Amino acid sequence: MATNRSGASQRPNGAPQTKVCQFKLVLLGESAVGKSSLVLRFVKGQFHEYQESTIGAAFLTQTVCLDDTTVKFEIWDTAGQERYHSLAPMYYRGAQAAIVVYDITNQGGAGVCGMRAIFTIELPTRDTFGRAKNWVKELQRQASPSIVIALAGNKSDLAAKRMVEFDEAQAYADENGLLFMETSAKTAMNVNDIFLAIANKLPKSEGAGGGSAAGARRLADGEQPRSSTCCK
Amino acid sequence: MAQSTFSTVDEYGFERHEDFDYESYEHFMSVYLKVLASRAQKWATLLGEGKSVKRTNTVKRYVRKGIPSEHRPSVWMAISEAEQMKDQCPDLYQKILDGPFEKELVDLVKTDLPRTFPDNIYFTKEANHQTHLFNVLIAYAHNNRVVGYCQGLNYIAGLLLLATKSEETSFWLLKVLVEKILPDYYTKTMDGLIVDIEVLSELVKSKAPDVHQHVINLGLPWAVITTKWFVCLFAEVLPIETVLRIWDCLFYEGSKILFRVCITLIKNNRALILSCNDFTSLAECFKAIVKNASALHCHEFMQSIFKVPGTLSNSTIIKLRARFAKQRREQQQKEPPR
Repeated sequence: MATNRSGASQRPNGAPQTKVCQFKLVLLGESAVGKSSLVLRFVKGQFHEYQESTIGAAFLTQTVCLDDTTVKFEIWDTAGQERYHSLAPMYYRGAQAAIVVYDITNQGGAGVCGMRAIFTIELPTRDTFGRAKNWVKELQRQASPSIVIALAGNKSDLAAKRMVEFDEAQAYADENGLLFMETSAKTAMNVNDIFLAIANKLPKSEGAGGGSAAGARRLADGEQPRSSTCCK
Repeated sequence: MAQSTFSTVDEYGFERHEDFDYESYEHFMSVYLKVLASRAQKWATLLGEGKSVKRTNTVKRYVRKGIPSEHRPSVWMAISEAEQMKDQCPDLYQKILDGPFEKELVDLVKTDLPRTFPDNIYFTKEANHQTHLFNVLIAYAHNNRVVGYCQGLNYIAGLLLLATKSEETSFWLLKVLVEKILPDYYTKTMDGLIVDIEVLSELVKSKAPDVHQHVINLGLPWAVITTKWFVCLFAEVLPIETVLRIWDCLFYEGSKILFRVCITLIKNNRALILSCNDFTSLAECFKAIVKNASALHCHEFMQSIFKVPGTLSNSTIIKLRARFAKQRREQQQKEPPR
């Protein structure tokens, strides 16, 4: 794995050998597209066929080592149901990165649940891709102007049931300046990669990154100056 | 209950994780079993004379000390308005289940069935609680179109099923919670929830000003910490026995109990919270304090919720709710909806 949980801050005293940058990242997207599963795969290397529905939001951290920089992600994994929408700004405010997730089968929900099969044909499919586009629009309007947005077409292991074409999503991502990958939390495909791609794209020069985004959290008294020495 | 001390599954069917602290739990149970035995006797005397449970000071005191699990379904129905509601339309639940159902609601509810308590043996695909949960949630979604289905209700209905072992009782208890006991937590705009989080923030500010200031300084909004506490009524947050003891009081005394629990958690862990010096450690701290020994020792915890927060009158809550609801309406009038 390209990730390293210990992080540079664990080194014995003295200046860290590499720059350490701390970034706030938020996951957004329709319910049951796999936001929590992507985080669980990235942070713990695990996958649960049935991931508990997230209420409010869950907070996790994970560290990624690049060549000369250690990037520590503070990850906010949010609830997907539309009515939790009004709480979302609290999570993307001050975020330097966002992963907007949809389900390439466009359904949302556990594709393997037997009872669902009856309805998948008759029902108008839940438009998880359309919902993802709305999140992108909202982020472009309301979040920090420098936010790095990645689009993740999750459940790529269910390609047989694909409803959103790769090229369509890629074209949309290109038009909007988004990173784009199809991912599978189940097989781990592209999961570390999408976080790494974000880490690479985040500005790590002085005055950028943690400092530039409006509302980026400030260091409190006594906090280890990990981020303030970052990127110099 | 004693035999489950060493089981990898607890008495409600939840698998104990690898990091489950058997030693602390054993210590807790060795004390709590005596409490349970003594309470069981008292309740047997109270209910043994064939009297129905009335809302009296004695019953209130008994409820605060915990309802024995076998009496929970009937006592919860009696001390809340659920029984009255059921008496007014006794066939309601069955009638709704006769259908028809809206496919959109069916799809919404079914998506969450396998995602509710996946580590509980009664909620696996092979067990039957997923079907019961579907029935309770779909019935409620059709009965209350304003609420429909809100994520979080799955955990409440799921725990009601585990505690009452009855779909219909769970349906009525869910209905009384959403419609009589709690403000509008689960409606499309979740206004009641957002207001209650503001109310809590204000209460913490007056009852533990240093903690409030510290949490604000580190940039963690109270809503981030407490959304799940309110939405799930502490299910999936606190240890299960503690949650059920809170619900005992919630059914009798109403939503004020939630504030008592929140403030107790915050004040009991004041030193820990104040020792966090960055955002990450504070977020981790709030995850830890709902799982620590003081949260597990439900009897002492429930005693402390009536002492630690100090005075908390209904009129204070009503006033604060009105104030923040008004603020919210004014704010919404200024900002056009997204």
